[in-house]
Amino acid sequence: MAEATLNGLNLERLKEIVKEVASQPEKAEELNVWRARVRWLGGFRGRAYVRDHTFIIDEPSDLAGVDTAPNAVEYVLSALGGCLTVGFILNATKNNVKIDDLEVSLEGRIDNILTFLGLSDQGHPGYREIKAKLYVRSPADPKTIQDIWSKTLETSPVGNTLSRNVKIVPEVSVVD
Amino acid sequence: MADLFPTTVVGSWPRPSWLLAELKRKNRGEISYDEFSSVADEAVLLAVKYQEDAGIDIITDGEQRRDNFYSFVADKLDGLKLMTVAEVMDYVEDKSRYEQMLRALDVPAFAIKSPVAVGPIKKKRSIALDEMQFLRRHTRKQIKIPLPGPYMLTRASWIDPVSRYAYWDREELATEYVRLLREEITQLRDGGASFIQLDEPTLTEIVYGQASKQTFMCAAIFSKVDPKEELEFATELINRTVKGLSGVKLGVHVCRGNWSRKEESLLKGDYGPLIPYFQEMKVDQLVLEFATQRAGELSVFADVSSFKELGLGVVNPRTSEVENSEQIVSKVEEAIRYFDPEKIYLNPDCGFGTFAESPVNTSSTAFQKLEVMVKAAEKLRAKYA
Repeated sequence: MAEATLNGLNLERLKEIVKEVASQPEKAEELNVWRARVRWLGGFRGRAYVRDHTFIIDEPSDLAGVDTAPNAVEYVLSALGGCLTVGFILNATKNNVKIDDLEVSLEGRIDNILTFLGLSDQGHPGYREIKAKLYVRSPADPKTIQDIWSKTLETSPVGNTLSRNVKIVPEVSVVD
Repeated sequence: MADLFPTTVVGSWPRPSWLLAELKRKNRGEISYDEFSSVADEAVLLAVKYQEDAGIDIITDGEQRRDNFYSFVADKLDGLKLMTVAEVMDYVEDKSRYEQMLRALDVPAFAIKSPVAVGPIKKKRSIALDEMQFLRRHTRKQIKIPLPGPYMLTRASWIDPVSRYAYWDREELATEYVRLLREEITQLRDGGASFIQLDEPTLTEIVYGQASKQTFMCAAIFSKVDPKEELEFATELINRTVKGLSGVKLGVHVCRGNWSRKEESLLKGDYGPLIPYFQEMKVDQLVLEFATQRAGELSVFADVSSFKELGLGVVNPRTSEVENSEQIVSKVEEAIRYFDPEKIYLNPDCGFGTFAESPVNTSSTAFQKLEVMVKAAEKLRAKYA
């Protein structure tokens, strides 16, 4: 018999994973830590290595890059969009809600880009505000969708990283 | 029919909720086109009744069988695939223009679909003959059939590189549309249609779209081309489509988008830059929006001599307020300064339900707008007969 799926997820497998993480603290701890490495490629380009994946980071030409890939702040937006997408689908699936289509549109406003360029000491070079709009097509009623969206925002790892003060622990090592 | 100031509509009528439910089922593949079409018959009868009761002279079927004014052809032609903007973006290099459009429209990429040429275009069933035949059996009024124009179809369905699997270039695809449309127009004429309207709304976008954040609610993104060349291309396609055809009134409809009630989100600009191309078009009538201020002044036609007929937009399909007949009479009298009264038809600026799932008005308001338009025509006939 075919295994039950919803929103492209195997329901049994999803239940198992949730049960496993809930019952095994070491498994949960494993999922608490994430890693990435970025290597400079010259100019403003870099290559990120994440588990078995890599991707390029660049800057647009109007910021002296060669525009071969998104820049770091665009990856932040994409990371948030990706996180909200995953979170929404997880919460919808757990609530047995079918999702036909979903998109998250994001727009971030940097507080003052001149500070990054060393041209101003007013404000800061980080995002001041990020708008995240969810578009969803689903047979569920609007209230259910709104509840899932609220839960998604509340439990989003990237959303929480951005909205809380995350402590960055810097270190430098000069290599011979 | 009265001789002067005939009244007509541009095309679409708001669909009833039960028809939209069936349309969704059809789009999900749960029912066939024929099954959907038999349900749509009932909706057409409603649209006809509203138009007849309002006293409209030349009626349409309200485009009840169509999901919108152009992508419905995917049901009619083999070789077309309805692709969402999300799918199209996987193929095109110029993704940022699509992103710009989605943000301007505040819509997701999965919501907008366009019929993309993915194989040789062949007729699966007639484009609009079935619509005309049903309408002919149920009204004694003259019939107008709107068809997507050859430029609109080409522009919407040519996606490089997907379309290159079937056609060498955009021109070759356009030639196929010209052939199909000519064949369809001939059949519609022979079947009893008295007015065929080619919808070419995106002509305004060629002129005003590139400098504007506003756009049309379709995947027919403006291309980075010389507007002059593009307008010449569009004019040539229209002329090749209608060449030598007689026995039926042929019109071209141009507007500035009709997908939202927010006027500021629609294109703006007068017809001035299009007039040289209008003059070249071998059609009988131009069906132009003029009720909205975004269309500019009628005076742009001041120095244009021996012009063709004007289908004058006198009511805005996107507002809740119903125009009064004096406003309409005044607009028509302004047009009379530049057009022979015998060449003026009265119509709304555009359809009331261009996109099935986002009609710009209710049937009730649309009906009142048609009624007042007919009342204005009667006043004008009394004065100018």
